[in-house]
Amino acid sequence: MKVLILLLCAVLAQAKTVLVVTADAPDFVLAAGGTIASMAASGDRVVLVRVTNDDKDSWNLSAEETASRVKEEVERAAKVLGIAQVHSLGYRAGELGGVSPTEIRDRLLFYVRLVKPDVMLIPNPYAEYVEVLDRHYTGMAAEEARRIAALENHQPPFAQAGLATHVVKELYYYAQPFDPRRREAESTATFAPQPKVVDIASSLEKKLRASQALTTVNYSMAMRIRKRLDESGRRLPLLDVVNEESVRKLVEINVRKLAEIAAKDSGYKLAEEFLYAGPDYQVPAKLR
Amino acid sequence: MGKVYHAVVALLVASVCFAADTVPLGQMPKGKTFLVILSHHDDHTWEWGFGGFLARLTENGWTGYYVRTTNDEKDGREWGPNDQVNLKESIEAVKALGLKDVISLNWRNDHMSSVQLKEVRAQYILLIRKYRPDAVMSWNPWGHYDRNPDHRRVARAVGEAVWMAGLENVHPEHLAAGLKPHRVPVVYYSQRGDYGKGHSPNIAMEFNEAQLLKKIEAYWAHRNVRGVAASAEVKRGEMEAPSVEAGKRAGVKYAEVFYRLEEWDYLPGLRDYLAENARAK
Repeated sequence: MKVLILLLCAVLAQAKTVLVVTADAPDFVLAAGGTIASMAASGDRVVLVRVTNDDKDSWNLSAEETASRVKEEVERAAKVLGIAQVHSLGYRAGELGGVSPTEIRDRLLFYVRLVKPDVMLIPNPYAEYVEVLDRHYTGMAAEEARRIAALENHQPPFAQAGLATHVVKELYYYAQPFDPRRREAESTATFAPQPKVVDIASSLEKKLRASQALTTVNYSMAMRIRKRLDESGRRLPLLDVVNEESVRKLVEINVRKLAEIAAKDSGYKLAEEFLYAGPDYQVPAKLR
Repeated sequence: MGKVYHAVVALLVASVCFAADTVPLGQMPKGKTFLVILSHHDDHTWEWGFGGFLARLTENGWTGYYVRTTNDEKDGREWGPNDQVNLKESIEAVKALGLKDVISLNWRNDHMSSVQLKEVRAQYILLIRKYRPDAVMSWNPWGHYDRNPDHRRVARAVGEAVWMAGLENVHPEHLAAGLKPHRVPVVYYSQRGDYGKGHSPNIAMEFNEAQLLKKIEAYWAHRNVRGVAASAEVKRGEMEAPSVEAGKRAGVKYAEVFYRLEEWDYLPGLRDYLAENARAK
């Protein structure tokens, strides 16, 4: 019994707090869902902040109905991945370009100081050919929030509310593999985040179920593929009938292939790839 | 022996550099309508533009429209009349390439940094829904070091408009006017090739001598900013030289190089599956 308690204490002592920031519902699941599930399964406490309300991407649903449904679906997906809390900032999807970057940053800063994460996972704002620019704006704001969380002169009212400064030790930049040059080294290695591939073989099933929980965007994706094929005189046998079964299969093909793309040349079979700034990435003392 | 060794090494290095600089030759896209959405009256025709490719498309039966986003008031000899003169010459230039017309949005030249992107994007979305292009050409939204604010902002707005135009919940007021959602399946991005590594072309589009001549004509149609060529050699050389250079990268006589986004590139996990399993009805 004593041994078990000691083991539990050891696990708890190593457990981290993880803050995941996402612009939209599918991105954090498709780009980082397996890693998040593994972290949660190992005892880490994971908190999710979604920046937009995902009100645009659906099929035959109003924006209001879409936002409402996707909120529930994200919460279901988060539960599958083992995420403890979901917070939504509620910005309208596709419109972050019109929002003050400082406003988004400071709202994320609030959560950094509230949650006090050891680790943050954020969209990579430098990834190219990511057509959803909300991901770029969110990544920029989150990167800044992580940096200024340690500086007391940012948002003094937060300190009045008991939200002290905080240093986030580890940072993962995530993105789906749109960028053909995502594995190229940066021009300088001094402070550049390093590529990191994470094995997700043991958590793929959870990632798949979480992705399948996003039924509104998945159905929209399937219908838009079929529409494009229809308009160009083609068909996809899988989508001759678009129903729950065919959409789930389409999502499975997508999730498995993404994991194979990320695993390429890594020695793993199924993976997710990040740019990672760990404790060693911190600015050396002589340069602070 | 040392000289031979150095020569061999130099040749090897040169061949590696050349190999790294090659760009695959692209096939003509499928479709019939294109929109060229750029910042200025002359962006479509200069050495980083699309002139040869546009001429080839129209010769192959495509219908094209040129969207000039700014009013070009800064570009030319006299601030006052620049807007109208540049528009007139832009119409002349696109007609030389076989395009149907210029749609001028008249945003203030070199002031795009202060414009809400959503407002510009809304105009592009409306035009995409109206003309339902099979291909769009613009500046690369991920290009680096472009110091022209109009280029950067137009690129960003186009980068979102091409896919957001396909979503019913984006500007639903358009649907009330009878316009239907339309996602642009293929996009060609260009960018100055001497502005850092932000834009690496992934495709070269070949064109022929007749299309080069149209590109030259369109380029020099912008007399307000280009004046008159000093000689026939200069007139041809300005557009021939970059076309030949781009052609070398693909092993053809004349070409232009772009970053092409294909119809399923937005679904990297499904791209191969769709390419392999979609079939004719």
